[in-house]
Amino acid sequence: MAERAPLLVADALEKVYGSGDIATRALKGVSFTLEAGEFASIVGQSGSGKSTLLNLLGLLDTPTSGVVRYNGEDTGALKPSGRAELRNGLIGFVFQFHYLLPEFSVWENMVMPRLIAGVAVNDAERRRGEELLHLLGLAGLGDKNANQLSGGQKQRVAIGRALMSEPELILADEPTGNLDSSNSEAVYELFRRVNAERGTTFLIVTHDRRIAQQTDRILEVLDGELVQDVPNDYRSAEKD
Amino acid sequence: MLSLRIAARFLKTSPGQSALIIAGIAVGIATQVFVGSLITSLQADLIDTTVGSSPHVTLLPPDGETTLPGSYAERVLDSEPLATDAVAVRDFSAIYADGDESLPLSVKGGGAAGIDGIYGLSGRLVEGAYTLADDEILVGAGFAEATGVGPGDELSLLLPDGRTGAYVVSGVFDLGAAAANERLAFTAAQTAAAALGLETDAYSAIEVQLSDVFASTEVAERLASELDAVAVDWQATNEELLSGLQAQSGSSAMIQVFVLVAVALGIASTLAISAVQKTRQIGILKAMGMGDGPAGRIFLWQAALLGAGGTTGGIALGYALIWGFSFAPVPFSIRPEPQFIAISAVVGISVALASSVIPARKTSRLDPIEVIQSG
Ligand SMILES: Nc1ncnc2c1ncn2[C@@H]1O[C@H](COP(=O)(O)OP(=O)(O)OP(=O)(O)O)[C@@H](O)[C@H]1O
Ligand SMILES: [Mg+2]
Repeated sequence: MAERAPLLVADALEKVYGSGDIATRALKGVSFTLEAGEFASIVGQSGSGKSTLLNLLGLLDTPTSGVVRYNGEDTGALKPSGRAELRNGLIGFVFQFHYLLPEFSVWENMVMPRLIAGVAVNDAERRRGEELLHLLGLAGLGDKNANQLSGGQKQRVAIGRALMSEPELILADEPTGNLDSSNSEAVYELFRRVNAERGTTFLIVTHDRRIAQQTDRILEVLDGELVQDVPNDYRSAEKD
Repeated sequence: MLSLRIAARFLKTSPGQSALIIAGIAVGIATQVFVGSLITSLQADLIDTTVGSSPHVTLLPPDGETTLPGSYAERVLDSEPLATDAVAVRDFSAIYADGDESLPLSVKGGGAAGIDGIYGLSGRLVEGAYTLADDEILVGAGFAEATGVGPGDELSLLLPDGRTGAYVVSGVFDLGAAAANERLAFTAAQTAAAALGLETDAYSAIEVQLSDVFASTEVAERLASELDAVAVDWQATNEELLSGLQAQSGSSAMIQVFVLVAVALGIASTLAISAVQKTRQIGILKAMGMGDGPAGRIFLWQAALLGAGGTTGGIALGYALIWGFSFAPVPFSIRPEPQFIAISAVVGISVALASSVIPARKTSRLDPIEVIQSG
């Protein structure tokens, strides 16, 4: 029997924005594998190509060349509807900017991926949602309009939205970029817990080395290339 | 149904914009309902005045004959589903002479019930009673005024063969047209037979009324082929009136088309603006895995909701205008035409849907990365 295919494979991903004189080679052949249950981070300077990479992995954008595989399946061969289905069910995305729907309440925003999947939200999910709101420091804000929150609160709602549909993989682009250190701390604690309890895989983009130190594996992007991919003992980092 | 829910929320969160476009559609549809009902009622009124109390199809003896059998009236009613009344009549002309004065009369003899079915005389009497016993005669208001005769008076008429007939006036009618009120008179069938010297089953014409006045041409053709008779329909003898009505219908249709175009442009531009305003939200929804179809349907639903709201409001407003018109000092009233209103509703909603096609297609083609990247 063949070995189970890894959750995610990035194979020689290249991304060129524009063409001719103004062409930017944002990614120059990035390859790596992510197994189910990993808790990894991507670091790199501003403009190094982290968001570009995450957008490709999140099936929001298509690579100029190279392949993104989920569970062994080449996503380049999928129809738009197939990609949309993976985005909805397999992946939870936390964007660099929160991207909430201003017309909807906090709670509605949280369950939107479920509604898109056509799933009715039952009592158990409602309780889980309440707990998530509580853990994210948003208790009692569920009925508030998403527009009436502070930037940091919005960001936390976006995190709740990604976690709410219990995806296999969370792709997070600077998820705590505009949170203070204690809120940021709480978010990573929550991520860790979800990773441990549910085996959810995390790939977190950050330019903050201290945050990266708290993950099990650090991938470094420099100028569109993967220059480092090292395991990291986050428990030893904590002791420093 | 998520598409519907999102559409409703989008509309709810920009109430001013939604209210404006609904008002726009409502005014358009109200204009449609009002103008349409006005023209239709106006024409119905005109047609009713013209042919409401006269035969729509008249059967005359075929070439070479001078009479028709009376049984044709029953055969018409039996075989022609559109025929509501049919009566066998005997027509003769007579002259009223009183000293220097002489007035020509066209007398129609037939069964009291049958005559009433065509001419509605019982409801148009101004004096006397609606009876047609032997030797009784009903005369018009104009004739009664000119000659001074009234119910109970005796009337002597000079008959075509030179004899004089003596009749008793039983009532005076007003058919609403001067010519008919001066010239027309009615007697019983057997009275007319005596005046004409005809046998019992010989009639000069069969007069027919239909449930649909505009079917008269085809009914006339059908009857002419089924019965041994010549059929004449009212449309053949009223061509000018008909072409006038047609011109009126044409211009009313044109007004309505322009109103619809204006409504369509209004909805289309509002939806296009809304689609641009909501590009970001659509991109987010798609990034979370909403399919192209459901995303596009958001705008179809918006259009449907706006169309339904505007059409309902427009029909209500149209009814209100029609109701308001009933207080206007004009000699006829507008009836709201249910069929016309149904058409307006269907057209209103379809126009709304059609004008959402472009934003819907644009939306379904939107790539989420366009939104996610631009921050
Ligand atoms: N839509 C685009 N069109 C053209 N160039 C782009 C586009 N998006 C990104 N780039 C370029 O690609 C490169 C990588 O951008 P990317 O957003 O991936 O960087 P990043 O590592 O996420 O940076 P940051 O830490 O500031 O978010 C940059 O040089 C950027 O200017
Ligand atoms: Mg970035």
